[in-house]
Amino acid sequence: MGKTTIFIRRRDGRIEVRLNDYGRTFVRDLLTHLMDVETQADHPWRSATNQPIDPASDADDPLWVLERERMTSSHAELALMTVDDEFLTDAEAWAWLCALQNVLRGVSSERGFFSDTDVERASDDALSDVRLIQLLLFELAEVVTA
Amino acid sequence: MGATVTKRSTSTRGDVATDDHVAVEHPWNVVVWNDPVTPMSVVVVILRKIFQYSNAKATQLMLAVHNEGRAIVWSGKKDRAEGYCVQLHAHGLHASIEQDA
Repeated sequence: MGKTTIFIRRRDGRIEVRLNDYGRTFVRDLLTHLMDVETQADHPWRSATNQPIDPASDADDPLWVLERERMTSSHAELALMTVDDEFLTDAEAWAWLCALQNVLRGVSSERGFFSDTDVERASDDALSDVRLIQLLLFELAEVVTA
Repeated sequence: MGATVTKRSTSTRGDVATDDHVAVEHPWNVVVWNDPVTPMSVVVVILRKIFQYSNAKATQLMLAVHNEGRAIVWSGKKDRAEGYCVQLHAHGLHASIEQDA
């Protein structure tokens, strides 16, 4: 188990969030962007967050598509509601992890990162947001399993 | 006190499918695909959460995804496969279902 500095599991079970104002604004903007995906058909993250369930089929079962939208939105909403909180419950930390993982796939898809080579060739500028989201996810993965 | 046992006929010859009519449905696989940005530890915790796998099994599957580009993480009936796939999508992983050949 690695040592975390942003998300800390406290002895009472809560997860402390040591993000500064810049970090919270960064997360809030990304989560707001994720919420927009469901209402904007041409959103650049849409292909990453609305991938086919059965690629061999002409269309996926609309009930499953709706269920996915419901789950994705509820994670994003819960994460957004708690973005300024000092402490998170396990459920809230999971919502952060799921929402930020969807954000990561959206951002990387928008920037054309589909292979290791794409990432290796990317500029530091293009990668900076991705690295920051990955750092948050690394730490969340540590504390949700603690 | 005696009991009266009525023997019911269980023969429903007309309803029983013969070998010629039995079609065995191949299982459906849930496949997780590699992507270049998702941290390995995130894949492990998501597989543990959704499938209740041990840390060892989830890690083994994550490594298969990483090294081979994809891994079958669950097999079974189609509706359950779809449900698991939707959960993987909602957790932000690249996944799909396919029927076993």
